Amino acid sequence: MNIQIIKKNDISLRLLIEDTNAAFMNTLRRIVTSEVPSMAIDDVVIIENSSTLQDDFLAHRVGLVPLKTDLDTYNLPEDCTCKSEFGCNLCRVSLALEAETEDHTITVYSSHFKSENPVVVPVSDRIPIAKLAPSQKIRLEAYARLGKGKDHARWQPVSMCAYKYLPIVIVNTKLCDLCGDCIKICPKNILTKAGDKIEIRNVLDCTLCQDCIDACKKNPKALEVSWNENSFIFEIESTGVLTPERILKGALSILEGKLKEFLDQLVVK
Amino acid sequence: MKIVILNKTKNELKVRIDGEGHTFCNVVQKALLKDKRVELAGYDIPHPLTSSPIIYLRTKERSNPVKTLRDATRDVLKDTDAFKAALKKALKEWKSTA
Ligand SMILES: [Zn+2]
Repeated sequence: MNIQIIKKNDISLRLLIEDTNAAFMNTLRRIVTSEVPSMAIDDVVIIENSSTLQDDFLAHRVGLVPLKTDLDTYNLPEDCTCKSEFGCNLCRVSLALEAETEDHTITVYSSHFKSENPVVVPVSDRIPIAKLAPSQKIRLEAYARLGKGKDHARWQPVSMCAYKYLPIVIVNTKLCDLCGDCIKICPKNILTKAGDKIEIRNVLDCTLCQDCIDACKKNPKALEVSWNENSFIFEIESTGVLTPERILKGALSILEGKLKEFLDQLVVK
Repeated sequence: MKIVILNKTKNELKVRIDGEGHTFCNVVQKALLKDKRVELAGYDIPHPLTSSPIIYLRTKERSNPVKTLRDATRDVLKDTDAFKAALKKALKEWKSTA
């Protein structure tokens, strides 16, 4: 297996993975979206709420705020040593939110949260939670914990995780008459005219839509679109709770754990 | 994860894996199909709301199905290790160029 990084920044990671198979890619994808834990608010105690939003609606909005996650310090509540329904400071973080206004309308943002742990804070300060009209007030205490995407989407650490086959686009120069229809129709602009032939600029962007083949008037077609069954472009886009490489590493160790547990239990007699 | 062996003969094996789903079974099934000793391998999730898939495996003569399933699982484990190593290398190369 060979991996090449195509793009990498704080929230997204795009990899070219060669010499693997679709089943393995799909397993990784499924673990990334539904089993890598992240932090989100789970319990909300509303002390005061005179806004126009009902308590349950407000709790739902608060729950969907992505929180920066520290996977090394915190435990999943079901694995925590405290075994307590209320949690302890190794499996729970409390955040307080207090906002009120006297004579003008305000928007309450995620920056109003005061976390007991400065590491576990909303990923952005500019997530609107509610709007308050004059003399309205919100006071609540929220408890965040680690959870998994399969239990609720708020614990999903990624906004997107997908893979596709590595595209192969071939132009047959003997058949091509340079009409340019394929260049015009390509939604990703991967084809270009260079001198007296059609060239492929960035084959990795190809979505395998095959529009260029439909546009080609030649018979047989002057283009051929196919894909490599053992090479993939795998992309992760994090919500900001964890870095994409941390999510991927987490997914790999979860898969490793599953396989080792299976081997431990399945014994030849 | 909890494994329950439902049926075992000389060349057949039926196991239920409580607490798992497509994530685990699909990758193991595909690894089994690559093995030349395997005649048939598949899995079924009897009900979509339960997480207790059943893997069914039939091997060709003289092959122990439990051993075959262990070998397939080990193959996936090898893939995981290869992925880890390749990712580590790729991240290192990225750091040195950036
Ligand atoms: Zn605890």
